[in-house]
Amino acid sequence: MSLKYGDRYPGLLRGTGIGARLARHSLTLLAITLLLMPLADLHVLSRDPWAELGRIAQGLLMPHFGSIDAPFKALGLTVSVALWGTLAGVVLGFPLALLFSRSRLVRAGCAFVRAIHELFWALLFLQIFGLSALTALAALAIPYAGIFAKVYAEILESTPSAADDALPQGTGRLSRFLYCELPLAFGQLAAYTRYRFECGLRASVLLGFVGLPTLGFQLESAFREGRYFEAGAVMWLFYALIASLPWWAHRRLLLPLTLGSLLLLGPWPQIDGALLWRFLSTDIWPAPLLSGDLPGLVAWARDIPELLPAIGNTLLLGLLGTAGSLVIAMLLWPLASRHFGNRLTRAAGSGLLVFLRSTPELMLAFVFLLLLGPSLLPAWLALALHNGALIAFLVARHADSLEPGMPDLPASGRLAYELLPRVYPGLLALLYYRAEVILRESAILGMLGVATLGYVIDDYFQTLMFDVAFALLLITACLNVLVDALARRLRPRDVTHDDPCLRQEQLSYPR
Amino acid sequence: MRHTLSALGLILLAGPLAATSAMADTFRFTAIPDEDESRLVERFTKVADYLEEQLGVDVEYVPVKSYGAAVTAFRNNQVQLAWFGGLSGVQARRLVPDSVALAQGAEDAAFTSYFIAHDSTGLESGDELPDAVEGMTFTFGAKTSTSGRLMPEHYLRQRFGADPEETFSRVGFSGDHSRTIALVEAGTYDIGAVNFSVWDAAVEDGRVDTDKVQIIWTTPSYPDYQWTLRGDADERFGDGFTDDVRQVLLDMTDPELLASFPRSGFIPADNSMYAPIEEVAENLGLVR
Repeated sequence: MSLKYGDRYPGLLRGTGIGARLARHSLTLLAITLLLMPLADLHVLSRDPWAELGRIAQGLLMPHFGSIDAPFKALGLTVSVALWGTLAGVVLGFPLALLFSRSRLVRAGCAFVRAIHELFWALLFLQIFGLSALTALAALAIPYAGIFAKVYAEILESTPSAADDALPQGTGRLSRFLYCELPLAFGQLAAYTRYRFECGLRASVLLGFVGLPTLGFQLESAFREGRYFEAGAVMWLFYALIASLPWWAHRRLLLPLTLGSLLLLGPWPQIDGALLWRFLSTDIWPAPLLSGDLPGLVAWARDIPELLPAIGNTLLLGLLGTAGSLVIAMLLWPLASRHFGNRLTRAAGSGLLVFLRSTPELMLAFVFLLLLGPSLLPAWLALALHNGALIAFLVARHADSLEPGMPDLPASGRLAYELLPRVYPGLLALLYYRAEVILRESAILGMLGVATLGYVIDDYFQTLMFDVAFALLLITACLNVLVDALARRLRPRDVTHDDPCLRQEQLSYPR
Repeated sequence: MRHTLSALGLILLAGPLAATSAMADTFRFTAIPDEDESRLVERFTKVADYLEEQLGVDVEYVPVKSYGAAVTAFRNNQVQLAWFGGLSGVQARRLVPDSVALAQGAEDAAFTSYFIAHDSTGLESGDELPDAVEGMTFTFGAKTSTSGRLMPEHYLRQRFGADPEETFSRVGFSGDHSRTIALVEAGTYDIGAVNFSVWDAAVEDGRVDTDKVQIIWTTPSYPDYQWTLRGDADERFGDGFTDDVRQVLLDMTDPELLASFPRSGFIPADNSMYAPIEEVAENLGLVR
């Protein structure tokens, strides 16, 4: 992290050292964001958001648990869907992980299924399996398979090879894998699977927003209809579920929990083969494409209204969200770090971060939308707060593992000269990891009324024009794959590797 | 402690096992979520009880989150009967061949939409939409609502000869009629288009502050909501089932049940009544 000898003028932005490079990166990101900000629609549309905010806060502080309709059924289904969705993702993803480094096709396929948000998958499966457990499971399992394939492959690749090398020559591939590679990697694989299950819980809640009877179903109605005491109660139920995870999702309870939750899954659809086939072979493809009518296809494409504003808004929101997360993370991480403040401020800081990172962006955006009206502003706030808090939390943990070399410095000096230079490369690496997730969320937030791609996609699902909706989903996915590739290129890869603490964190939480 | 807690959690989770398995011969119906869902579940469970009693089969109400989901459930045979709006009914009958519109509300033969405006706009009620609405903000209801989107958009285009996006400075979709009223009342949007029966019921119940939001224009009439049944219902529930369902719907006279739609009664309907809706929807590119 030191300047190289060649730097004659080690100005803030001129050196070739890591610090200068990262500073240039961050400032460029912020500069581009500021430059493009006038293009974004950031109006506050409602006339009295403060009164509404007060009512929401009141609802959260004084929840009315009696008003939730069949809470345990919704809770049970939420957990079951998360558990079985994750499990199905593991079953599908693990074999793919073994092929991951060898097959470009597998890598591309996984990148593609990952790039489509769980809720978009749900909308797609709703058309064939209706409001059923199968829709919910498939919506989780398919993108998770792509994620598991990638992360498992990375973990397996990074296991130390010493044990493998020590095996006698001629040991079969399967034995090598089962007796040597798998046991070494198992801890990390399990840790990641656990983390993904937690993501699955959040996603499972969100499935309620499209109509599956998980916790999100009542949450959405209660918020939308202004019954904040009920909404507050569901929120607390959700936080309790996440916070009590270490107890009920204990290793020893896994088997009974898995089997028990199978009974809670439902309803199961009666699958109509003809309908399924019609959907896959006809409905989602443009009719002119199927009949080989090229001019017809051009006309079909021309009938789709202008997509550029939606694409532009999606990218813009992604950029705003990323830059916003950077700012929020920089502001918030010292709050939860042992190097600053007292016990009380730290507890409050950690509490705030846990609250913001456990609440899914979509849920935050939904509440902000109710408060501020459907401009990009509420979506931006939600993305920046959730992702910023997530990054801040990991950065604070990283900072806690560091021992300041100059303990007598005042807090500001400790921050500026000791801690920030050491945690910043990691912070930026996390931000670039997160950029792709932020873009995925930017698209899906359209379903709530923000003018991004999700808005247009929802339009076509509502009017049952699945061919256009599907084409738009493909566009969304491609956009995401491109941004992911860009973020990977920009990510300060070289700096993170010599920091085992950070590497551990990244592995246990990539997206 | 840890084990007690986890055991407790397991019991809580495993408790409500019931009511999840799919029974083959349950007759299911849904309704488009056009207003507050709290009321939807409550009121349609009562309707389910009535149908069960009259038809002699198990009847269950399936709640859905969007108009599109109602149509999808109908198409996938997850529900056999649905209380659709004009447009969602057209969508559903196009997707499920032989399905029939059985009955409509007495009010649905000549349904209307209200354009409502926030007090601060200074707009007054009149025979046509005033030119002053141009440049204001506007919200429809759900994207495929007949009274909250389709017909209001049709009349807006007739009146101003332009896309609503050109007429207004901002166009939104609130999601349902109750929300449209709430948004205009709160001033988030200057103007909104709302189903007349939802508005009238809300005013009667005192759920709207009419000092803040008033009607400025009423659209000409058009056919709207109807009960639509799948074409294969007789095959599944026995000969004559379609006629039975129609009769039971027409015989629904309990004011408590009817108030929940809200309608004064049901009258016979058929598919051809909705041809005008289909035509407008085709013109607007909402069906093809």
